[in-house]
Amino acid sequence: MNSRNIKTKCSYVIMGLGQFLYGQRIKGMLYMSVLALYLWYLFTVGFGDMAGFFTLGTVEGDPWLGTKGDDSIIMLLRGILAFLILISVIVFYLSNIKDVKNTEKLVEQGKPVPGFLASLMLFVDKKFYVVALFLPVAGVALFNVLPIIFMILIAFTNYGGDIVPPKLVDWIGFGNFIQIFSLSGIKDTFLKILRWNVIWAVCATTLNYFGGLFLALLLNKKCVRGKTFWRAFPILAYAVPGFITLLGFKFMFSYGGPINYYLKVMGLAPVGFLDIDAGWKARIIGLLVNAWISIPTSMLLATGILSNMNNELYEAASLDGAGRWKQFTKLTLPFVVFSTTPTLITSFVGNFNNFGVFYFLRGGLYLDDYFLASDTDLLINWLYNLSIDNNYYGIGAAVSLIIFVITSVISLVTYVNSSAFKKEDTFR
Amino acid sequence: MKKERLSEAVVTHIVLILVSFIFFFPVLWLVLASFSASGSIYDYDGFFPKSYSLGTYLKLFTDTQMYDYPSWLRNTLFVAVFSCVLSTVLVILTAYTMSRFRFKMRKPLMKTTLVLSMFPSFMGMTAVYLIMINFNLINNLWSLILVYSAGAPMGYLVQKGYFDTISNSIYEAARIDGASNPVIFWKVTMPLSKPILVYTALTSFAWPWSDFILPNLLLKNRDLWTVAVGLTHLGETEFSRFAAGAIFIAVPIVILYFSLSGFLVAGVSDGAVKQ
Amino acid sequence: MKGLKNAFALLLISSLGVCMTACGSDNAKAAADSANGEVITLRILENDTAKQEGYLDELLSAFNEAYKDKGIQAVDANMEEYSNLAENGPYGYGPDVLYQANDKLMAYAEDKHILALNRDDFECASLIPEEAWDAFTIAVDGKQYTCAIPVNVQEPMLFYRKDKLPEDWESQWDEDGDKTPDFLQNWNSLYQYSQQIVETSDGQNYGLVASCKDLYMMAQFDFSYGGYVFGKDENGLTNAEDVGFGKGDAAKGMLGLRQFAGLMNEECIDDSISQNRYAKVADGTYFCSISTPDTYVLFHDRLADVYKAEGSSDEEADQKATENLGMVELPRKMPADGDLSKKGDTVDTVVMGGVNGYGISAYTEHREACIEFVNFATSKEMIKRRAEILGVAPTRSDVAQEMGGTTSMIFESLNAGHISLMPSVKAVDQIWDPMGTLLSDVAKDAFREKKGETVKYADEASMQEALDKASKSIYDAIYTLSN
Repeated sequence: MNSRNIKTKCSYVIMGLGQFLYGQRIKGMLYMSVLALYLWYLFTVGFGDMAGFFTLGTVEGDPWLGTKGDDSIIMLLRGILAFLILISVIVFYLSNIKDVKNTEKLVEQGKPVPGFLASLMLFVDKKFYVVALFLPVAGVALFNVLPIIFMILIAFTNYGGDIVPPKLVDWIGFGNFIQIFSLSGIKDTFLKILRWNVIWAVCATTLNYFGGLFLALLLNKKCVRGKTFWRAFPILAYAVPGFITLLGFKFMFSYGGPINYYLKVMGLAPVGFLDIDAGWKARIIGLLVNAWISIPTSMLLATGILSNMNNELYEAASLDGAGRWKQFTKLTLPFVVFSTTPTLITSFVGNFNNFGVFYFLRGGLYLDDYFLASDTDLLINWLYNLSIDNNYYGIGAAVSLIIFVITSVISLVTYVNSSAFKKEDTFR
Repeated sequence: MKKERLSEAVVTHIVLILVSFIFFFPVLWLVLASFSASGSIYDYDGFFPKSYSLGTYLKLFTDTQMYDYPSWLRNTLFVAVFSCVLSTVLVILTAYTMSRFRFKMRKPLMKTTLVLSMFPSFMGMTAVYLIMINFNLINNLWSLILVYSAGAPMGYLVQKGYFDTISNSIYEAARIDGASNPVIFWKVTMPLSKPILVYTALTSFAWPWSDFILPNLLLKNRDLWTVAVGLTHLGETEFSRFAAGAIFIAVPIVILYFSLSGFLVAGVSDGAVKQ
Repeated sequence: MKGLKNAFALLLISSLGVCMTACGSDNAKAAADSANGEVITLRILENDTAKQEGYLDELLSAFNEAYKDKGIQAVDANMEEYSNLAENGPYGYGPDVLYQANDKLMAYAEDKHILALNRDDFECASLIPEEAWDAFTIAVDGKQYTCAIPVNVQEPMLFYRKDKLPEDWESQWDEDGDKTPDFLQNWNSLYQYSQQIVETSDGQNYGLVASCKDLYMMAQFDFSYGGYVFGKDENGLTNAEDVGFGKGDAAKGMLGLRQFAGLMNEECIDDSISQNRYAKVADGTYFCSISTPDTYVLFHDRLADVYKAEGSSDEEADQKATENLGMVELPRKMPADGDLSKKGDTVDTVVMGGVNGYGISAYTEHREACIEFVNFATSKEMIKRRAEILGVAPTRSDVAQEMGGTTSMIFESLNAGHISLMPSVKAVDQIWDPMGTLLSDVAKDAFREKKGETVKYADEASMQEALDKASKSIYDAIYTLSN
């Protein structure tokens, strides 16, 4: 009893030692080598990186003198990485304790301790989800989560403007947020753009969604011959990369473009579809062009959904004397909406953050009542103007954090309350 | 009754022709532009070039000193093929696992992925760039493949919906036969998921063809560019070349679509229903 | 789930290993390079035109031939012409020597991404005018440093077809009898001539049509009347807090722009004109347009196409295009009161210009070799070849004099103060969009009037207000958010 306890306790001190003493040599060695690797990392760079996270550099470099200073931004990144590694090693350590307790229990019950291969096989089978999700989660953590944490933290620094490497960046707490809400120009612009952005996202999502549904319904009609042929046209539109289409449309609507050419031939005055006075004209063109680009995908999706729908329902409905419209609103729509809530959310967010449309159609305009933005710019375009065009990374990050909070709350609430999330197994 | 049907069919087809025209016309215009003899879009009468020639396509593949289109095409193909394979594996694994297994972290993970996908992606680009510098992967096509495939599992919802429709009884039967989970995934699930595999592969293949933000950031050498980056750097008067380059990107995607369209519609439908 | 996190930890640790070895090998390689005296390779970033026209190849092979024995070799950096040194340089991905415009280079200099140089190291130094050097001078802690070597001057030019000049121009359009049409010398005259063309062709053809939203092309309507980009402080250094677009009589000049826009068509408001000017000047729809000298080739080729379509052989068309394509400086005189329609007192035209030059990356490992290269590239021979191949105007006085013609004219203008150079500070980045928006709004206003819509800039007061507002928003963009 006592010796077992000591063996187990060994793993509390040195990860894997207990397993090793219990005879699980390979597993124990693996645990221990992870520990060794981590300690080596910690003493070579780990501690430095963690300290760098707080100081963000103390020595300013001077490329003219060839002195290498601290690069605050790299230090921030490596600091985050160091803490992520620390967290994961702690979790690993806890799993080691759980594992050694399991082994202890087995020994207590007098059962043989499984060898390395056997326990590996068991693990792969019993915890298949861990094995399967290992790479996806690791990839997402490294290339999606880490950048997001990085950007969120940037919102609390004075990075940007004159303060770019080799100058040292510092933590400034909520300074950027205070600035956003204290400067009237910025606040007004933010609210104005937010309002338009919400209108845009709702309109664009609705238009794309119902446009796709309409097309799918049309193609689904019994009387339509050669469905593959008709479906080919939207797919052609899908195959051309979006930015090329957008540049093409920009040209078409420009003063020297074909539409104005025909207007002039007909003796009419040219129309500034996208120029400085365009306002709602440009907004509507943006909506339509965006629909042109997005409807093919939503058509494909809707086609799929409809082909899965039970035709008997329709037959029963038409026997009941339900009209076309009633069939659509009472049967088709609820079914489709139920099936596509997650897609709808993704599409809403995609449209909310739709950078390309107005960047390509109408970029580079700063209108009078806006701070570094125009009346068609969405929040994400404004973000781009702030952080990329004018180098205000800190402010840009703060704005993006605010947008992020808004969009995620909306979509999370919708998603969690949707039947697609609550009753996943309905159709199993 | 019959007359009514006929008139309905006529109306439907008229609407279809109209819709097809709306989708087809800009594409047609792009194709015509690529055959324009002068190279500039401003020598047109309205939508149509004044004269046509094959010159642009010739130039696209032979005049490679400044704009090396053939090697852009090779690079893009390389990136597209590998990220297609890797992304598909990762997405399918994620979707299958999220659909089939119940574990403590599952719902939190699902919510987290949703929230993560809300983040405006270009704001994280600086960090991606710095990570790649730390990995010494700048000017390396693998950096693109890594980022594309690592981000792919975030879009697992459609695929998960598909797996949600596969009845549990199939798995339980296999389980009773003594198959382990990896075996079930390989022997039972895979054969059942051809349509969704095709759909996933297709969409992840198409993405690198049109993305230009990431490659522009990670690839500094001109001969390593992908087609999308190269096209955005074409001179302002080279519209025909731009159009011709764009057509060439679209062709493989369209061909793939048609050869696989049967699978595709089935795949999407089965997936979407039960998301 | 714990297992999942274990896995995650493993990946992070292993990736970190990759990262550290990667960084290590990089440093080691660099050290080895300089130690054993092998061939030093310099990466040169040139602009796209120099590459396209073959000048870069010529320069590189000449240099490599000359420096074969000294173990220095220059190669094309193979990067995008505007690639950002601040982003690439510190991590070792930037070029060693870069050729860019003064606003770009000096933005790097502000953060010390390019080296401060000693003028005496360069053989061309004494031949380059002070104005050009000023564009590459920066003050750090009260001391002045030169950060790049000027190579050539750029300013907007007027492009036209000589064979489209009116046949009677010598009798009708040369009042001062100096054998140059008045409308190439005087904005009043150009306005009148444009008006005549529009009227006689019933609105089918136009005189001058230029990109009104492009500050670089249109700055003369502001600068000639006392406006400027940024002021200078008591030490003669650029002071970005003083935004001067609305200073002096700038409002009058801007009303002149509005007036002239009324004689153009709507294509001058958006990007159309900047793309179709080559074709439209070539086919004679527009008599002339404004562009930079490095686009000469584009006008030329388009014009040759036109002659070919008319039946000339390739060679003939090429020759004819060279003969008939005129590229001159913008007319020298503008009306003092901004009113283009009537003749009166005039002021000298002041255009916006830039100086392109060579800078040396602060991250290069071979400073001496880079200096050698820049010296070679700015030698009389190479600068002359550059001017011949690319049609640019050099800042070296000896080459400018030798070349004569337009080249020396541009050089003289720089000396005479007709060219106001883009300020060499980072803040210049933030003037383009606000001013571009204002300019296109002013041009649009002319068309609002034609259509009978409400006009925004009917008088000087409203114009002044708009200029002040634009200056304010530029100031805000630069200062409001900086900490």
